[in-house]
Amino acid sequence: MNTTVTQDMSFLHLITSASLPVQLVMLILVMISFLSWWHIFRKLFVVRSEINKTDEFEDIFWRGADLNSLYQRATSSRYESGSLERIFAAGFGEFNKHPAGTDTEAVMESTRRAMRATYQREMDRLESHLSFLATVGSVSPYVGLLGTVWGIMNSFRSLSSVAQATIAHVAPGIAEALIATAMGLFAAIPAVVAYNRYATATDRLATRFESFMEELSNVLQRRSIR
Amino acid sequence: MSINVLHFHSYSEPKKFLSGALALLMHIMFIAMMVFGLSWKNQPPEGMIVDLWSELPKPVQEPEPVASREPSKAIPPSEPLKPKPIEPPKPEVPIKPESSKQTTSPKEITPPIKKPDIELKQKPEPIKEIKPNLEDLKKKEIEERLKKIEAQKKEQELEKKQALEKQKEIEKQKELAAQKQKEQEAKARRDAEARHAAAQQVAARNQIAGEIAKYKAMILAKIRSRIVMPPDLPGNPVVEFKVTLLPGGDILDVKLSKSSGYSAFDSAVERAIFLSKPLPLPPDPALFNEFRNLNITVHYRE
Repeated sequence: MNTTVTQDMSFLHLITSASLPVQLVMLILVMISFLSWWHIFRKLFVVRSEINKTDEFEDIFWRGADLNSLYQRATSSRYESGSLERIFAAGFGEFNKHPAGTDTEAVMESTRRAMRATYQREMDRLESHLSFLATVGSVSPYVGLLGTVWGIMNSFRSLSSVAQATIAHVAPGIAEALIATAMGLFAAIPAVVAYNRYATATDRLATRFESFMEELSNVLQRRSIR
Repeated sequence: MSINVLHFHSYSEPKKFLSGALALLMHIMFIAMMVFGLSWKNQPPEGMIVDLWSELPKPVQEPEPVASREPSKAIPPSEPLKPKPIEPPKPEVPIKPESSKQTTSPKEITPPIKKPDIELKQKPEPIKEIKPNLEDLKKKEIEERLKKIEAQKKEQELEKKQALEKQKEIEKQKELAAQKQKEQEAKARRDAEARHAAAQQVAARNQIAGEIAKYKAMILAKIRSRIVMPPDLPGNPVVEFKVTLLPGGDILDVKLSKSSGYSAFDSAVERAIFLSKPLPLPPDPALFNEFRNLNITVHYRE
């Protein structure tokens, strides 16, 4: 190759010739990026299956299925139940535990509490790792920028020892430093997009769960009065 | 505590490892893109090659003679073939086979039948003298039959030939039609090209005219910006200069062609012309001829 005019500007060479702090930043960014992509895919599957299961359960429930058989189905351990099903099972189980003739208000109160507890646990499960995506989305560009700034600082510092500065002296240093920014952005952009997507999806699921809880309380209350 | 029981079971997350693998795949793709996708400049840029054209290439107009030649080529083969069908009827004339042109074919077929009769020599003699013999009559009869058969054969052949020829003709007509279509298409294409080229030329001319006007305006503006106007001249005096330019915008010569009547104004404009020395010229050297001798007219008040 023509070594006098142009340096080796291949991607790998740029990374390996970068200074240690920049390399460290790059390593951190690669790890962050990998983790964030992992969570993105995990959440994708979780949220998608949750939406499907909620659809399915609501469909069965509002078609007027027998509550007892639904409860059986929800508590059978072989079956993978969805969040909504678990909320229903918690509420219905609590409701059934009270002997007939107990004060309706008290029964409904405890039923609602049981459902709310399960609801909160489920929401926590659904929202787990979302904050990680948000953090990655907001922080990794800065981390990348830190690496870039460091690299550019270094390349300018080395310029001070040269009498006649040309762009060729600084260019490789800046190029390798900019790789850090590229990595940060590569990690951040999908994380932000995924965070917004999943936050919306879980919000909508939460609304559905809450309205279902209210409706189920009504159904159970009517049942207890009768 | 059924709630707890519910809480513990079925929390297995779907496709945990699949998502890990997918994440890995994403990164491998990203790295591959960075390593191979972007060719980080390793070679110095290659030199440029510029073709200089004195004028636009003219649309090719040769194809027409070729087109007119082709049909004539196509017709001749059919003409020599036609006479054949007209010739054959002659053999039907029964008795004078030897004198006519078709001697060859009867001779070839007659010998096998003559052999049973007697010899070859005897045959011409009896005809020359008289024709008393039964043998002669028989011969004649046989000959006549043979001729009839032959005529029939020939007719059949003729029919076959005619059928073949018809087919050929049909094919030829098809070919001709195809050729015609092709020609028409080619013509249409040529016309379109010619029109396109003409439009291009017009556009180019317009562009050139626009360019020239633009640069003249630029030159005038540059000179105008350099003029230090003498104050308080009455009216709107006009001065005209003849400027000779060198390629590159340098000024070779400036001549006063029409004075304004105010020497202060004249000299101010002349100075301004020299001051705005590299005059803006179009980058296309072909347009320089338009600028070689410039007439510059400056009004005192715009």
